[in-house]
Amino acid sequence: MLLQRTFEERTWTLYRQGRISGSMYDGLGQEAVAAAAGLALEDGDVVAPLNRELATHFARGVTVADAFRNFLGRGDGPTFGRDGNMHFGVPARGVFPLVSMLGNLCPVVVGAALAFKRRGEPHVALTFLGEGAFSVGDVHEGLNLAGVWQVPAVFVLQSNGYSYSTPSSAQMVNTNLAERIQGGWSIPAVRVDGTDAMVAFGAIKAAVERARAGEGPQAVECVTLRGHGHAAHDDASYVPAELRALFADPIERLESQLDSQEADAIRRSVVEEISAGLAEAEASPAPDPAAMEHGIYARPL
Amino acid sequence: MRSDERVFLLGEDIGHYGGAFGVTAGLFEEFGADRVMDTPIAEEGFVGAAIGAAWQGERPVVELQFADFASCPFDMIVTVAAKTHWRSGIAVPIVIRAPNGGGVRGGPFHASSPEGWFVGVPGLKVVCPGTIEDAYGLLRSAIEDDDPVMFFEHKGLYRRLKGSKPPEETRTPIGRARVVRSGSAATVITYGSGVELALGLEHDVEVLDLRTLWPFDRDAVLESVGRTSRALVLQEAARSSGVAGHILALLATEGFELLDAPPTLLAPPDTPVPFAPELEDAYLPSAHTLNAAIEDLLGY
Ligand SMILES: Cc1ncc(C[n+]2csc(CCOP(=O)(O)OP(=O)(O)O)c2C)c(N)n1
Ligand SMILES: [Mg+2]
Repeated sequence: MLLQRTFEERTWTLYRQGRISGSMYDGLGQEAVAAAAGLALEDGDVVAPLNRELATHFARGVTVADAFRNFLGRGDGPTFGRDGNMHFGVPARGVFPLVSMLGNLCPVVVGAALAFKRRGEPHVALTFLGEGAFSVGDVHEGLNLAGVWQVPAVFVLQSNGYSYSTPSSAQMVNTNLAERIQGGWSIPAVRVDGTDAMVAFGAIKAAVERARAGEGPQAVECVTLRGHGHAAHDDASYVPAELRALFADPIERLESQLDSQEADAIRRSVVEEISAGLAEAEASPAPDPAAMEHGIYARPL
Repeated sequence: MRSDERVFLLGEDIGHYGGAFGVTAGLFEEFGADRVMDTPIAEEGFVGAAIGAAWQGERPVVELQFADFASCPFDMIVTVAAKTHWRSGIAVPIVIRAPNGGGVRGGPFHASSPEGWFVGVPGLKVVCPGTIEDAYGLLRSAIEDDDPVMFFEHKGLYRRLKGSKPPEETRTPIGRARVVRSGSAATVITYGSGVELALGLEHDVEVLDLRTLWPFDRDAVLESVGRTSRALVLQEAARSSGVAGHILALLATEGFELLDAPPTLLAPPDTPVPFAPELEDAYLPSAHTLNAAIEDLLGY
């Protein structure tokens, strides 16, 4: 959690300094969900994180340096400078690269789960869905296939109140996604407070283990509030202060359960890890335009 | 399917029913429901699932009931399947089979040749057999390939072409055209249903079957036209779509000095495929229109 928070604070600075191109997205206020999901998975499980889930990458063993390489567009990063920010996967870690088109990854993880089921392997495939993504047809198709095929797929619903500038209430009649998934697709679903790391972890872990045990697809809705705007250019001034006041900071919440010396030690080690990872990434080579066409095909003609 | 356990099929009504055109008949009985999976009507969903299964090492083969419905999983194909390897190193070995083509009075939604939607998309391979041997050889090659392959099958040829099953080891290399008939006065560059049509010509023309539409065999096109000095591009896809524009661009940019006459394009007009027999017959290239186009080209 803290790794994601500190990493993203650093990328904001790099972005304002012009050292990161494009735009910036972060998961402020949702770090507990991202970390919980990543930590709930075991070796051999696979995951397709979206743009608020950097902690999932870290929990799966993706290094800070590799994450920075992607944000900085370095030639030896996970996407070789071909894609930016948190649009990356690390195949060796079972992490599928984010695809911008909302909803696309839902059927993809269902297919990965189908592969596990076909081979009788005890693995689970997990992805996330925002409430914005929930209106995309692919999500219906993916959830339906997961149910019909009874595959070990886990869907973590990131109910953070908004899809860009549009509140959930303007996107759907029933904003209780867990209720809709359970009632509509017969996929067991629970709804939890996503600012409570231990609660989120417990719920996602239980879902992952049920899926692993052959009980079919599972869903967990984690209720949070998106801490920043949609991206760097969005100041989120449309989010009412009264609403903000209702949501705790997940990191402060967990930290209050630790003794302060322990918490300080964690903070210091995270800052060091971030600085070291950034230094490593900054020393990485820029991508070579001459290699741009390499890898279009796995088997070139 | 007998030689590779990773191969399984996904599609609508492909199981006990054997597929809308009977292509998978008998497979359900031999391989069962786990390898011949009847899906809900969810093209974006099951193409996406095929991508996920391929990510995890399987070799899914998807059937679209009609190629026209390639519009439904378009996003999965061009966004996810096509870009993933370049962006991440994850290979996506899926085959998407799709019956295209007209002549069966299918109308605007069941007779299209939408291969052009995928021609030019980096990361995709697009093939379309025009002979029985290539239908088998290309399919085997496509399943063994490590990239996403769009496999267009002309639904008119399902019944019109007759012959025996090619030997088991037959493979048609992806990316290679074939001279189906040699000739010296002109080259007809075509694929799919155009091969059958071009072979009916009585002129001394070479017939080059592209077989792979993307990335197509540039060398074979230039080599043949280098010998014949005249080129006619024949396709069943509407004239401004498909591979024809790419072939003509190649001839203009790299083959200009090989040519004794402007290259000719014979293709349907830029409309959807019409239903009524009078309209569809006028729409599709025919022996008559091809003959006239060749006469014009040779008389230039
Ligand atoms: C199909 C599609 N349409 C539009 C967009 C542009 N877009 C990116 S994120 C976003 C909002 C997503 O909201 P939600 O799913 O709730 O996720 P959140 O940003 O709240 O995490 C939009 C509209 C997109 N990526 N994909
Ligand atoms: Mg949202």
